[in-house]
Amino acid sequence: MRHPTEGALRRLLDDPAGVSDADRRHVVDCPECLDELASAREDADLVDAALATESDPDLDVAAAWRRLSTASSASAASAASAATPPGQTSRPRAARTRAALRRPLVAALAVGVVLAGAGTAAANDWLQVFRTERVAPVSIAPGDLVALPDLSAYGELRMTGEPDVREVADAQEAAELTGLEVPEVTELPRGVSGRPVLQVGDEVSATFTFSRERAARAAAEAGEALPQPPPGLDGSSVRMDAGPGVVQTWSSDAGAPALVVARAVAPTAFSSGAPFESVRDYLLSLPGLPDDVAAQLRTFTADGSTLPLPVPADEVTTSSAEVAGTPATVLQTRDGTLAAVVWVDDGMVTAVAGSLDVDELLGVAGDLS
Amino acid sequence: MPRSAGDPVRDDLADVFRRDYPLVVGVAARVLGSRDLAEDVAQEVFLAFGRTSVPASEARGWLSVAAAHTALNVVRSGRRRVAREEAAAVHQDTVVSDVADTVVTREERRAVRSALGRLPRTQAVALVLRHSGLSYADVAAALDLSPTSVGTTVRRAESALRKELNRHASPD
Repeated sequence: MRHPTEGALRRLLDDPAGVSDADRRHVVDCPECLDELASAREDADLVDAALATESDPDLDVAAAWRRLSTASSASAASAASAATPPGQTSRPRAARTRAALRRPLVAALAVGVVLAGAGTAAANDWLQVFRTERVAPVSIAPGDLVALPDLSAYGELRMTGEPDVREVADAQEAAELTGLEVPEVTELPRGVSGRPVLQVGDEVSATFTFSRERAARAAAEAGEALPQPPPGLDGSSVRMDAGPGVVQTWSSDAGAPALVVARAVAPTAFSSGAPFESVRDYLLSLPGLPDDVAAQLRTFTADGSTLPLPVPADEVTTSSAEVAGTPATVLQTRDGTLAAVVWVDDGMVTAVAGSLDVDELLGVAGDLS
Repeated sequence: MPRSAGDPVRDDLADVFRRDYPLVVGVAARVLGSRDLAEDVAQEVFLAFGRTSVPASEARGWLSVAAAHTALNVVRSGRRRVAREEAAAVHQDTVVSDVADTVVTREERRAVRSALGRLPRTQAVALVLRHSGLSYADVAAALDLSPTSVGTTVRRAESALRKELNRHASPD
């Protein structure tokens, strides 16, 4: 008689009633099947143990329901879209992305933290507090970068995503993965040729929840007193979603990027509780943030329509320009080797950079389609 | 048929939520190993469900599959690294021993969950649903498989994860 299938043997372990009598009888007298059954049991037990979670979770279903009830409808159809059963359709990624853009100022301060993520639904009564519309240059010396406070010392900084930057075959794949319109360079500047390498990064989200207790402890360790937080700040959160984005890179013969064209979803911040301005100003007053940087950040418009763009002050100069009528920021290294043009338009931040002069970069930027 | 974004959420959402929220969190937690992240995933899943017209009688399967997919997306996108770091900060290095002779360290559980994200998606989802307590018939209905093939799919997934554990235990 034939042996039972591996599926039937597996089912014998935990649902023997679902296995035919003939198969069950066969296994009892078949050393080969008994060996296979033992092996299956070993694997199943091991995997079950590996996937085990805390038993009898004390779930607060009522609180979870309240959280769901107040969630933003804009992000309702985001992350579970991958699970949409056959026959159902989900909202296009681009629509989801544009509908649910959020970022807290935290990310602008958490230098080195790149945000990009996977459509985390807004889970509280998030109130949109700013949407990036312009880029404002901020000069930060390298020493300041490492001196910036790690905000986890002042509360909980929770990242719910990583960029997962990866190479893709072409612009079509990049567009499909990100939902973005991939900027097309209509005419490559002189000295730049060939096909670009395309990379995409996913959306990420970060939420910073201020903790007075933790902040006081951090301040004491720094030998400073914690500034008095504004009312309602303790426990309130700011949140930021960033990305997705796409980067196209043309390499030079020397191996350095000759031209880089990048586009990503521009940040928008949400706050639950204290007004955004209170959170921002208080964060900026925390021990450890250089005074000059704090002062520059404070100049940001009240509606937060600017994006902090930390650059090493001793290596880069900044100036203003326009790209197709949109205000842009020009960054140049002092040795003239690299330059970049950055602007924000219609919820998208775009950067054109490379070992070209500013006029050439502005030409590329203005001709992007 | 999905509802349009402007439609109100379905009338029975509260009932379905109360009934199936623990299941959805359980499925996601098996993938992620983090209760907090699992609850976040559950929010996403129910938000999506609220805008569908999936019959309530089929909700359990739909929600389970959605939870598994969404959680696996989290794993695949690398978000679990954050969860691991958070978990490492608050949990002791415990071992789970549901079965005599089966002792799996947190490190090994981490390796298995990472491997889950690399499995063929149907295998991974079937495995997670079955280990979350869904019957063979439920898994078959949710994934549009025959009950017989559920056993095969789960077995192959377990075998692949076992190999991953062995590889993890004996790095080259």
